[in-house]
Amino acid sequence: MKSKIMTMREAIRAFVNDGDVVYLGGFLQHEPYAAVHEIIRQEKRRLTVTKSAGMIALDQMIGAGCIDKVISTYIWNPLPKPAHALRRCVEKEIPHKIQMEDYSFLSLTLAYFAGALDLPFVATKTLLGSDFTKHSSFLGENKLKIVESPFNGEKVCLIAPLKHDVGIIQVQRVDKEGNAQAWGLMGDSKYGINSCSKVIICAEEIVDTEVIIKDPSRTIIPGFKVNAVVEEPFGAHPSYVSGYYDMDWRYFSFYDKATETLDGFEDYLKEWVHGVKDRSEYMKKIGKKTLEDLKPGPWSGSPVDYGYCGRFQEDYVS
Amino acid sequence: MKYSADYTHIEMMIVAGSREISNGQILAVGTQWPIITAMLAKKTHAPDVAIFYEGGAVIGSIPDRIPLFTGDPCVASNAVLLNDSLDTLGMILHAGHPDIALLPAANVDKYGNINTTCFGDYSKPLFRLGGSGGACDFGSLAKRVITMLEHEKQRFPEKVDFITTPGYLDGSNSREESGLKPDTGPSAVITTLGIFRFDKDTREMYLDTYYPGGSVEEVKEGFQWDIKVSENLKVADPPTEAYIRVLREELDPLGMYLKDNRAKPILTL
Repeated sequence: MKSKIMTMREAIRAFVNDGDVVYLGGFLQHEPYAAVHEIIRQEKRRLTVTKSAGMIALDQMIGAGCIDKVISTYIWNPLPKPAHALRRCVEKEIPHKIQMEDYSFLSLTLAYFAGALDLPFVATKTLLGSDFTKHSSFLGENKLKIVESPFNGEKVCLIAPLKHDVGIIQVQRVDKEGNAQAWGLMGDSKYGINSCSKVIICAEEIVDTEVIIKDPSRTIIPGFKVNAVVEEPFGAHPSYVSGYYDMDWRYFSFYDKATETLDGFEDYLKEWVHGVKDRSEYMKKIGKKTLEDLKPGPWSGSPVDYGYCGRFQEDYVS
Repeated sequence: MKYSADYTHIEMMIVAGSREISNGQILAVGTQWPIITAMLAKKTHAPDVAIFYEGGAVIGSIPDRIPLFTGDPCVASNAVLLNDSLDTLGMILHAGHPDIALLPAANVDKYGNINTTCFGDYSKPLFRLGGSGGACDFGSLAKRVITMLEHEKQRFPEKVDFITTPGYLDGSNSREESGLKPDTGPSAVITTLGIFRFDKDTREMYLDTYYPGGSVEEVKEGFQWDIKVSENLKVADPPTEAYIRVLREELDPLGMYLKDNRAKPILTL
């Protein structure tokens, strides 16, 4: 079997095309910033990007001109502060006009769930009454519909499935086949990453399949659905990965200040994205002291034992 | 029980919010003020409340440092359930379990509708806000929704520009007519100046309680419409010294909420 292990540059070049519908995984943790920076460096264009918590990952891609359409529930700097490039784009069309489709978090998770299972729609009682049911953007009629339930006649909101050309997430660990394991706060990630035709798994470390096999309940997507495996330590910085590093609060403050003006935003990209060739150079700029600060203390539980059931009862087969 | 003689408007709002919470309840907790309010209740009169956050966490104990938002990394080391958004927004919230949902808001209108999406026209906004997150789901599905925000006139338009989180829509029974479950919706709006509730027929918001040292005039000044005042208008008890001590010394000694140190910019990296 051809190895799926590749560098971030190779993975983005091979699997992210101009005009693609791209899912970005992670909900406050697991955010694939290293992949986002590589997409910006490779100047991908006309993307439709969907991400539950847009955070500053989408802000950077919007400001860099990679995105034409965006689907999200929330784009903001977690401080909480406005995402400046998003605001410049929506309010002043800098660098160009984008179309934005808003969801609530539950309805977006359900749309991913429907996409992952290839369901025609899911029915829910959320969104009814909100202006999400009145205003849609580029999805138009294909976003949701309010109908009467065929079972009891009550009003329900049908959410259409969302599927993606390619999905990217940064997880704790993966094996060379792409069996990807993640834990901690998961948000929509499992449903989102399973709604993608092609999948790039970025991980803090590549481990032997033996490690995966000994704790298989932590696998969020099986390797046979995965196209590329990228080992990228600190690939989710400045967000966090449970057990590996804490959130870099200072970096979000710095980003807020640095990108307030358009010139500042461009300087930020020049220095932190285009000015480094890959993630390891970026991490050198972050510096050892910060990395040391972000190291979490231990919080391990008693290891789980799945038990070994490798034989039948003796009198069962005789 | 001794009342505090030295507390801020923010602290009064947080204490008033926590008083709405009874022991044993299940709380859907949104980001910002709701975080510290729910934790204050859990740390004082309601130790057995179950707190859950949108991203997939049910909190078992109070973290050593206060979470700055509901997806804060410290949540991971204090949860009894840590999984995904269908666990919390789905099998807890949509299933109808929470007694109360606590939400922050940028704007609240006469019928308790919340806007956290944009000011101005949605297709060409004057100011783009973050967006819903799980707030719309909390407001759509929870039995009693309590909204907490600073009492500033620009936050209280008669009608919000965008209904991110449905309250009572256009009043009367319009919420039920939209298809939302009966017996859900806004229960109170708690600000830095008072507590507001909703008329059971018209569903219009009215002033129910103001705080010691405040006045009806001061409260009314902070609305863009002529807000109604309860015939049984009440004045809240001040916070007790014990609650203020828990807030300042145990929950938020660094002033991340109480002094708003969360967003302090730094100049160099």
